Amino acid sequence: MTTHTHAEKPRRIGFWRWVWVGLMILGGVMAFNVGGIWGGIWKPVSPAVALPAEPAWPGVYILAPGVLSFLPEGIPFTNTMFSVLLASLILFGIAFFVVQPFVRRGQEAPSGFYQVIEVAVEFFWNTAQSAAGKWARSIFPFTMTILLYVLTVNLFKLIPIHETIGYTKLAHGNVKGYHTVVWNGIHLLDGSNPGQAEAAAAESAEAESGEHAEEAYWNKPEPCPNCEIVPTFRGAATDLNFTASLALITMVMVQVFGVRALGLDYFSKFINLKTIISKPFFGVMDFIVGILELISEFAKILSFSLRLFGVIFAGTLLLAILGTLTVVFIPGFLVGLEFFVGIIQAYVFSTLALTFMSQATVAHHGDEHSEAH
Amino acid sequence: MNDPTTFLQAMRYLGAGLAVIGVAGAGAGIGIVVGGAVQAMARNPDFTPTIQTNMILGIAFAEAVAIYALAVALIILFV
Repeated sequence: MTTHTHAEKPRRIGFWRWVWVGLMILGGVMAFNVGGIWGGIWKPVSPAVALPAEPAWPGVYILAPGVLSFLPEGIPFTNTMFSVLLASLILFGIAFFVVQPFVRRGQEAPSGFYQVIEVAVEFFWNTAQSAAGKWARSIFPFTMTILLYVLTVNLFKLIPIHETIGYTKLAHGNVKGYHTVVWNGIHLLDGSNPGQAEAAAAESAEAESGEHAEEAYWNKPEPCPNCEIVPTFRGAATDLNFTASLALITMVMVQVFGVRALGLDYFSKFINLKTIISKPFFGVMDFIVGILELISEFAKILSFSLRLFGVIFAGTLLLAILGTLTVVFIPGFLVGLEFFVGIIQAYVFSTLALTFMSQATVAHHGDEHSEAH
Repeated sequence: MNDPTTFLQAMRYLGAGLAVIGVAGAGAGIGIVVGGAVQAMARNPDFTPTIQTNMILGIAFAEAVAIYALAVALIILFV
């Protein structure tokens, strides 16, 4: 048995090595567009970056326009929502098709994919126990959920369909548009960088379409002179709404755990009037410190949301821009870096949530001053 | 020079560049954090897991400031 695998292994690696080399050369040829294969559609183009999330597909809404009078444009189903939905489906799939069958089967040695999950959960459980003590059992499920959720979203973002597949619509305003070619009814970029299409052509196209300058172009048979690409897949953490909502939920749960542990006494951390009569000077100081605690609680929401958003959005940008500058070699390493950064950010988000929650369950002693004097 | 759009774009690039200066402080901060953590780990290797967790937390706090600067720069450039 062992000799068999020993004999098998080197030959297999030797075969796949040549496949990889061939694919690399093919990628290089296509990326540098030698001979203008298919009008240069494989050539990477520099990205036209959009910060806010965009509708995943034209005409798909969560809340159709005109239903509510104060939301005349409705709530579109954005590409980052789509990404969150897919990541949630992956997590549900893992829960119901990997973890649950294994738990049902009873005591066995963990194996396969289940083992990976158990290692991750056990590692974080140890962290939670050392940080939160007796409150670990109630805090752990929440922080572990954040860890798995952010991790799935961040790693799912690295699949190459992201920010490349979408629909085209006419660019307007100061958005730089691409020139497309049509192949079997699918619009493809022709390898020219955005804004290289003549401004006059774009102007005339916009003038012809008149008021419907924003209309979708993806289902039209003729090539588009000046279009922007709206990706259907986009990493969820590149949307500030996703990270801000996670941060808000986390900070609300911090207060909930604080109240559960200390009762209404928890709020004396923020409005501290306990010592203001007995020791006027330090009492006022304690009160000001409490106000600062209150402000820092809101600053934590800001820092939570901006950290995750900034890192992931900057990473996406880095991949897109460096992918056009150095086409073949460097982006592979950058994807590796993004993989690492995605894991670290998920870990940091959940560890910070864990730390804040376990801090909230600990009683705040306002008598350090009396000990010092 | 009499082109307001180009002038605005140039000012945007300048502003984004100036905003990112804030990253320098975070770089120094992360250096100090990791330096201290490595010294502590060299002195008593038994506490490496605890020190590592705290180090990553400290890095995250120091990095947050850099990422504010980065987010400001990104918002200047792309909004």
